[in-house]
Amino acid sequence: MRTVSIFKYYFNLIIAYGTYYLEYAIGIFADYPPEIKVAVSVTVMCIVLIIVMGFALLFLSRKNKKIMKVQNRLEEKYGKGMDFMLSADAQKLMSKQEIAAVFGVEKDAIGKEILKNNREKQTFVHLFYMRFITERSDYANRENITTLLYLFGIPEFLEKEVSLRSMKHKVEAMSKIRTFKLPVSPWVINKLLSSKYLRVQRLAMYSNIMLSSDSDLDYFETDFFDKHCCIKDEIELAYSLQRRRRAGRKLPNLARWANLQKNERSQCMFVRLMRRFDELEYCSELTELYKTQTRRKKLIEEISRTWGYLHYTEGEPLLIDALLIQPDDTKVAIMHALTRFATGNGLDALLEGYTNTTNPHVRFEALRCMYNYGDLGRTKFLELERDAREEDRKFFDFFNNPITIEKIGLDKEQAYHPSVETVYNA
Amino acid sequence: MWVIIYYIFCYLIFGYTMLLMASYMYLVIMSHKAQARLGINIPDDETIKYFLQGSPLTPAVSIIAPAFNEEVTILDNVYSLMQIDYPDYEIIIVNDASTDRTMELLINEFKLVEVPYDIAMRVQSKPIKRVLKSTEEKYSKLVVVDKEHGGKKADGSNAGINVCSNKYFVCTDVDCIIEPMALYRMMWLVVNSHRPMIGVSATMLMSNGCIVEDGRVVEAAVPDTLIPMFQQMEYLRSFLISKLGWSSINALPNISGGFGLFDTDVAVKSGGYDPTSMAEDVDMLLRMVTYMKNTGQEFRLAQVPKICCWTEGPGSVKSIYRQRVRWARGLFEIISNHRKLFFNPHYGPIGAFTLPYIFIFEFIAPILEMTGFFFMVWLILIGGVNWDTAIILFGMIYVFSVFMAFFVLYFDYSAKAVNWHNTRVSYLKLLMVTLLEPFLYHPIITYCSIVGYWRFISNQTAVWKPIQRQGVKKKKS
Repeated sequence: MRTVSIFKYYFNLIIAYGTYYLEYAIGIFADYPPEIKVAVSVTVMCIVLIIVMGFALLFLSRKNKKIMKVQNRLEEKYGKGMDFMLSADAQKLMSKQEIAAVFGVEKDAIGKEILKNNREKQTFVHLFYMRFITERSDYANRENITTLLYLFGIPEFLEKEVSLRSMKHKVEAMSKIRTFKLPVSPWVINKLLSSKYLRVQRLAMYSNIMLSSDSDLDYFETDFFDKHCCIKDEIELAYSLQRRRRAGRKLPNLARWANLQKNERSQCMFVRLMRRFDELEYCSELTELYKTQTRRKKLIEEISRTWGYLHYTEGEPLLIDALLIQPDDTKVAIMHALTRFATGNGLDALLEGYTNTTNPHVRFEALRCMYNYGDLGRTKFLELERDAREEDRKFFDFFNNPITIEKIGLDKEQAYHPSVETVYNA
Repeated sequence: MWVIIYYIFCYLIFGYTMLLMASYMYLVIMSHKAQARLGINIPDDETIKYFLQGSPLTPAVSIIAPAFNEEVTILDNVYSLMQIDYPDYEIIIVNDASTDRTMELLINEFKLVEVPYDIAMRVQSKPIKRVLKSTEEKYSKLVVVDKEHGGKKADGSNAGINVCSNKYFVCTDVDCIIEPMALYRMMWLVVNSHRPMIGVSATMLMSNGCIVEDGRVVEAAVPDTLIPMFQQMEYLRSFLISKLGWSSINALPNISGGFGLFDTDVAVKSGGYDPTSMAEDVDMLLRMVTYMKNTGQEFRLAQVPKICCWTEGPGSVKSIYRQRVRWARGLFEIISNHRKLFFNPHYGPIGAFTLPYIFIFEFIAPILEMTGFFFMVWLILIGGVNWDTAIILFGMIYVFSVFMAFFVLYFDYSAKAVNWHNTRVSYLKLLMVTLLEPFLYHPIITYCSIVGYWRFISNQTAVWKPIQRQGVKKKKS
């Protein structure tokens, strides 16, 4: 109470002095022309701002120093333990006591608060997180890491950060939870799903995809991604779906989600994810989109690629029909899809793709597809090479050079496709 | 009558100054807001790297670096480019028919051989003679393009665009020192954008005074000599306040030719760089914006608030004179060639705000300053100056410029834009140059602008002379 009254007293005093001097200044400048009044006001405002920024710089510098001090202390105390936990020596499963011994924690302290306050917890988890993501240790035993974090009370701390603090803290804490694959209470996720911050909502949603049962994925049945959709969403979704698949849960019907979106970008995202997660059984649900959205060339390209990757041969007649009427970029995607089917039906279409255009890029891609179209295609390719005009010779040279031979497979994504599994396994 | 004209002129100039200061304040507020937002959205470098490195969806980038007679530095520079940390990128060095040993050194060092290449001349450039790749796996990222002499960086960049195979390309100078995490910082904005990102501008600073080891800046420092020191402050102000402020309303007017990322497809459809232009980077960006707006597509332009690239700036008055005359001429050319965009809301915030701002406060300012200078001299000669008022007005402008400098430093510190080797010394140096800038540096820049405008109006032939490099401090490893 006393502090409040002192504060009030000084506050009133400052206001009183401020008002007095302001009136005094107004009195002094009352007879001056407006430009002088403006100039003096701007000058005073700038000086005040300079002083405020000077103090802010000092404050920031002191704050950083304090953080560094705690960081150095914890680094000295637990740094070696952290390194050990991410090394090859910590591959075997360890008990809480063993981990405590590595970190020099007394037996009596187990189960109690080892780190004194939130700042220490924040610094500890930050130090460990930075080590974890920079080293990308293949040796780290996930269960040991979870035990270690529980030993230091980190999961409870992160959950508190997620549910109580500012957006920045929420996002950071949520990212750490996801990186360390810590379990989160469903009520926390539900609370975040209704957050006013889009980013927090999405992070919660990704966690939900990993953890929830099949019936809990209804929020995709809205136009949520129509408003905002970026490459990062796709990366996060791929990651979450991958985790879900590895946990043995059923993957949702992504074609249905693609159909529900209105925005071309989000439609493309779900179609791409379909091929990354081998959803051949739902490919037929894209037919309607393919037939009706013919002016959305990116979408047509993505559907063509997806059908090609997943060998949805029922789509081949549609692709052949679309080949000659679509723009050049889309033509290339369709030709690649036809090549992946390699049923023999699309070879004539590829040949037409080669002859009916003057665009060198499309001609080259058509040749590339024929080259990769099994024996039938290779025969056709050799025929064309034999009869090639001088100006087309450079295309064929490309296929005969040992350095560029690596480039003549189908487009780059082919290599990415199976690696979704391996990358996220690490 | 003359007295009325005199008063009208004086009040117009006063109004102009106040408007200029108000627009600076607006940019300060916008950049502060952008920083606060980015502070939440941009995590630390390690987190970005962890996220992007592990994903097969991370977009690939081509780095295009034109070179002409760079035999002294070319190998160091290529090795420096190879040190960039990013999962999927290619380096395209475009040799603009160098007359020295540039090509020979590249061929010998990287075991280059000629390869057939799928070259579609998507944008205009001088003919490409050959494309070379290394026979060694460790240099597989490197592509060298040998072309006929175009004489302009724009021509070389266009040749690089014709060869590049990725969705995004970065245009840089072969002598720029790129921060190892630069591509991650730029691509983070790309992957986070809800609208297609067509260009990302990177923060660049002077490498003069920095210590470089193995092609990396290991100690960031403010230059020791005055001219680069002034430019350091100018660059900080430009990137951290101006460009960041404009980018927050999607109205970035320029992506520097020194280090900027572009969407290849949009750049190609807009015609690439114009080799005849003196401000090819602004010109291309404005054409990209025009293309996107005319085709009714959404787009985003962004500024990275962290240092991505170091470049050696002009170290002498003579060099800076040449550079700034060229820039002024380029500005006039942009205003003349893209006049339909100015004050035109059809082109979004760039047409409605940024370009009018550039016209009123960047293009006209040197003319007004020069007029004001002669007007002041005349007033002094006839004894018509009210010294009290003059001092108060000058004081306001001076204090405002100090405030801007303070804000830049505050911003730099809080956003950790540059990792200075000795923050206190660097900031003191920068504050010191701010106090001197209105007397020493600004008059030179104003004079250069007037000369540049005159050269454009009088249609004098533009001669591109490279800046005399003094080299950066090197530390032996």
